[in-house]
Amino acid sequence: MSLLRHTKGGEVHERQSLTVNPAKTCQPVGAMYAALGINKCLPHSHGSQGCCSYHRSTLSRHYKEPAMAGTSSFTEGSSVFGGQANLLTAIENMFTLYKPDVIAVHTTCLSETIGDDIPQITENAIDKGIVPEGKFVIHANTPSYVGAHPTGFANMTKAMVDYFAKSTREDKVARRVNIIPGYVEPADMAEIKRLAKLMGLDPIMFPDTSGVLDAPQTGVHEMYPAGGVTIDELVAAGDAQQTLALGPVCSGPAAKALYAKCKVPQTTMGLPIGLAATDKMIMAMRSLNGGFVPEEIKYERGRLLDLMTDMHQYFYGKTVALWGDPDQLVGLSELLMSVDMLPKYVVTGTPGKKFLKRMGDVLGDKVHESFVRQGPCADMYLMHQWIKNEPVDLLMGNTYGKYIARDDDIPYVRHGFPILDRVGHQYFSTVGYKGAIRVLEQILNVLMDRQDRDSPEETFELTM
Amino acid sequence: MAPDSPEQAVELTPDGTLTSEGLREELLKAYPKKSRRKREKQFVINEKTVNEDGTVTLPQIGANTRTIPGILTQRGCTYAGCKGVILGPTRDIVNITHGPIGCGYYSWLTRRNQTSAPNDSDANYMTYCFSTDMQDENIIFGGEKKLAAAIQEAYDIFQPKAIAVFSTCPVGLIGDDVHQVAKDMKEKLGINIFGFSCEGYKGVSQSAGHHIANNQVFKHVVGTDNTPRSKFSINLLGEYNIGGDAFVLEDLLERCGIELVSTFSGNSTYDQFANAHMANLNAVMCHRSINYVADMIEKKYGTPWIKVNFIGAKSTAKSLRKIGEYFADEKLMEQIEKVISEEYPAVFEAQKKYKPSLEGKRVMLFVGGSRAHHYQDLFGELGMKTVAAGYEFAHRDDYEGRAVIPDIKIDADSRNIEELHVDADPDMYDSDKVRDKWAKEEKGYTFAEYDGMMTQMAEKALVIDDINHYESEELIKRVKPDLFCAGIKEKYVVQKMGVPCKQLHSYDYGGPYAGFRGAIEFYKDIDRLVNAKVWKMIKAPWDE
Amino acid sequence: MRKVAIYGKGGIGKSTTTQNTVAALAEMGKKVMVVGCDPKADSTRLLLGGLAQKSVLDTIRDEGEDIELDDIRRDGFGSCKCVESGGPEPGVGCAGRGIITSINMLEQLGAYDESEELDYAFYDVLGDVVCGGFAMPIRQGKAQEIYIVCSGEMMAMYAANNICKGIMKFAESGGVRLGGLICNSRNVDNESEMIQEFAKRLGTQMIHFVPRDNDVQRAEIRKMTVIDWNPEAPQADEYRTLARNIDNNELFVIPKPLEIEELESLLLEYGLLEAA
Repeated sequence: MSLLRHTKGGEVHERQSLTVNPAKTCQPVGAMYAALGINKCLPHSHGSQGCCSYHRSTLSRHYKEPAMAGTSSFTEGSSVFGGQANLLTAIENMFTLYKPDVIAVHTTCLSETIGDDIPQITENAIDKGIVPEGKFVIHANTPSYVGAHPTGFANMTKAMVDYFAKSTREDKVARRVNIIPGYVEPADMAEIKRLAKLMGLDPIMFPDTSGVLDAPQTGVHEMYPAGGVTIDELVAAGDAQQTLALGPVCSGPAAKALYAKCKVPQTTMGLPIGLAATDKMIMAMRSLNGGFVPEEIKYERGRLLDLMTDMHQYFYGKTVALWGDPDQLVGLSELLMSVDMLPKYVVTGTPGKKFLKRMGDVLGDKVHESFVRQGPCADMYLMHQWIKNEPVDLLMGNTYGKYIARDDDIPYVRHGFPILDRVGHQYFSTVGYKGAIRVLEQILNVLMDRQDRDSPEETFELTM
Repeated sequence: MAPDSPEQAVELTPDGTLTSEGLREELLKAYPKKSRRKREKQFVINEKTVNEDGTVTLPQIGANTRTIPGILTQRGCTYAGCKGVILGPTRDIVNITHGPIGCGYYSWLTRRNQTSAPNDSDANYMTYCFSTDMQDENIIFGGEKKLAAAIQEAYDIFQPKAIAVFSTCPVGLIGDDVHQVAKDMKEKLGINIFGFSCEGYKGVSQSAGHHIANNQVFKHVVGTDNTPRSKFSINLLGEYNIGGDAFVLEDLLERCGIELVSTFSGNSTYDQFANAHMANLNAVMCHRSINYVADMIEKKYGTPWIKVNFIGAKSTAKSLRKIGEYFADEKLMEQIEKVISEEYPAVFEAQKKYKPSLEGKRVMLFVGGSRAHHYQDLFGELGMKTVAAGYEFAHRDDYEGRAVIPDIKIDADSRNIEELHVDADPDMYDSDKVRDKWAKEEKGYTFAEYDGMMTQMAEKALVIDDINHYESEELIKRVKPDLFCAGIKEKYVVQKMGVPCKQLHSYDYGGPYAGFRGAIEFYKDIDRLVNAKVWKMIKAPWDE
Repeated sequence: MRKVAIYGKGGIGKSTTTQNTVAALAEMGKKVMVVGCDPKADSTRLLLGGLAQKSVLDTIRDEGEDIELDDIRRDGFGSCKCVESGGPEPGVGCAGRGIITSINMLEQLGAYDESEELDYAFYDVLGDVVCGGFAMPIRQGKAQEIYIVCSGEMMAMYAANNICKGIMKFAESGGVRLGGLICNSRNVDNESEMIQEFAKRLGTQMIHFVPRDNDVQRAEIRKMTVIDWNPEAPQADEYRTLARNIDNNELFVIPKPLEIEELESLLLEYGLLEAA
């Protein structure tokens, strides 16, 4: 029996108002995830308590880790009179009971619609003496009816710059580089930091959820695990020699804000998914280290290249349907194109002007063989109808793809957010040369499993 | 139903050094003054006073009151209670969330309410998420037009027999009239379309959403199909088919010869709701979330309701017998006994197998509006002791029993939730049933009765309403229970502390746990969880 | 029970007109409830002799408070029942949402129940229908008839025309109807004729022309309606006539709002707008 039994081939239903099986979620969850990447930070959701509960649940299901955050628990009364009283109580309770260094407030559709002024409320809290000396309350506006979860991530990341970064000297600190990693896994953040250090740089990564959302079992619950960017580092970001913003949607705004505020030059590039994108990132790092690339990185690149050459026949010509966040989709598409696979269907609900152009650049002369859709009603239902009409060889995207994978019997690699039904994504990176090896291995596994399952006796192969 | 003798005083820790009073005092100390005053009312010690007439007075607990902002609550919102809990499990209604994308997204397939549509041609929309995905301009200029268009598109593409519309926070703020849009579209399209004013900020927890959902389903669906049902027909109210619980119960009832007209709302369909008023008895599982429908059906149609509990083998047997007793048919009662005796050997065997490794272990349960109570029965069957428990969103009657209902203060937050005025239906009200009910009551059969969680709990056990992260962490640190039961937000926190955590919302993707078969499954899962080798590996050899 | 909503541009004298009319109805022996739907909560002070009362929304600020109808409803002149919705301070929160909340609350508390034996419920609604919340009183099942207070001043007529647009939207689905325009005179030239003509083009009537009279202010300073302060005053009779006209009114229409050009030409015709 089909799981998505009402999705049929034939005429594709174009919709204006009804989104079905979205390829995005709302801003606040992105802001909460970003805020967890600050050391000793307690995120706070200024809205109804359901928002916070939903976001914490989603993050916990994805990372299999605690995701601590507070809520203003709006009632009908606070919706009418404004949420100031609730936020003040929340700030007092959180500093008293949970002792964070930073409370990172993000708004919701509710508090945005009634127009609560967070900085004014925060000032009020400081005046009332409920923000302890040396502790901070920062905020980002994240109305759920604008943008999507990557936007929320971008806004909270930008808030880190707005609140903390400081330019304290004329010249910048050589080899200190800010890296804004984008909406990626803790393992990806750790991998990018590792590469930067191998390149002889002194990276400040923000946000940095490695060591926070992949914490070890020790028998003790650390309310604030060891990971995360520290306030000192965020302040010092203002004196860095350069900012590398990975992913224009998620990291671009913070990099631009840092340039405007502290004159730190910035380079915005794609996420380092696949060979070419990683090359680009390494080259950007090389321009800051006096021009060397260490043997270890050369070796990793060579191994990736080796896999790509040896296994090319299995990738060649395979078509893929992808859904997810713009920065991820561009990176994955580039990786797929590099082994002569075709991103045939690509959908994202996240808006943003440059996505279609970036996809066009990546697809090059194959652009006419692909369907790329962005924005309202660019959802998984649309993509599934396309698949019904003309199937693909592979699905790549978050957990919700499993229903399509089973219904239409399509090999499927989980990638992106959220992944609720498998582990591994938080431990094994998909960025850098090593990460690309993992992505390609995952793709090969599902493609070869399919070949093995479907081959008749005479062509059933022992060896690839 | 009592798992262990409630008169016995609780032993928080094996060495007996920790007292309930001392622990409570310690924990409350850390709060700022205002928050402390509030928490004091919601954090009680289960001290029962036996009165001269033999009745028992329980301490009063603060419940169903506002959550303290910033406290790190377990609670969710009204929308979650309405769309997620009550309406979520019905497979053939197209549920459109009117709002920004998040609310619909997070309630998309995340609650494990299983469903089983018999054929591929039967509707099942549960794998779909429908949303109007409101944008900035819809907030400023109003979203009614977009909602109407979305309903039209849903109708054109999916051809459902009914569409439900769920309001999210901003919809209430900007004043979109979802009910009018629903009514207009109902007239236009000729299928049943109805709305829910379940904005997240209403009420103080999911509970308000349950009430709102009950009201609208009763108002718009129940009573629209008068197909008669058999003599031994019941509705099962407040069973949501998490992990397949309802499947077990459907099978059990069928084997007993009891016709299940509808389940609210596990594995349910629209048509079942429409026909629910034709059943002869309502059996209420989760009192908190569904007692409103039971009450309204009784007022309008005269169908009485009884409280049942199918969590725990003993409770299951007791509940089946109570249903049998209601119908007072010898053959039926014989059949029920036959089924019970078929099921019980396996239960005993499982108890024999798992009890030795679990007996005496201490459990804490902080979850739901009935689960924290019902699951104590299962733990009792394993000889495990509940030392602390509390609900996430229940009311005083769920703790102290329905007898306190007249004394519950209705505050402004509850007043905001519509209370439907229901009159007896001139044609369908069954006065025979009512007379029969009176006769049975004379003979000592109890209807609409629920004694709550506290009566059943040990003396001096801790009863904590709307527990927060701080309190749970401190409790675990000091009491070091052998098992903690909560939800996904708590799961990994608790386990990081080296204590196993059983999710009683999602069952940790296990189950079913209802009925006899479910009890056996539960014993097994608890043994696996509590006695897993991994808990002994936390300390590294170099730290020994 | 007739449920009546009074709309009109801010500062036009809605509250004064409503309260004086209610006083006249009460004097006629009608049982009336007035629901002020303005966050300033000043729609019933003349009926209450300036007595402050707790607004409906005040009760939802604090937790744990059980509300009885009597906590938020006070008896005013002629035993009329006075309720203030209340709302947030200017610049914060969502006043529109406040109105929705408080009307729901009144319904829950049974303020409109038959047992209350009301003849009239009056809603005095703030200024323009700026957001969904301000339309709450005319949604389905709420007020069925609307009177718009206006004058011969251009902005007042613009506002009245806009309100008609709002009514049109709800009239199609909800059954609310326009009962007429109340001209609260500002001593503009040809005022009565112009408003009569304006009403005609809207498809309605000018239900009464209330002349400008300083007695209104004199009474107001004493926190009273004219009827209360000086029952013999000629202005008191004006309000009595208005009340009678409303009581006897049978003309309820879906208004046909004017195009802006049409409205301007009307003003031109009656000598208000100089030809450019």
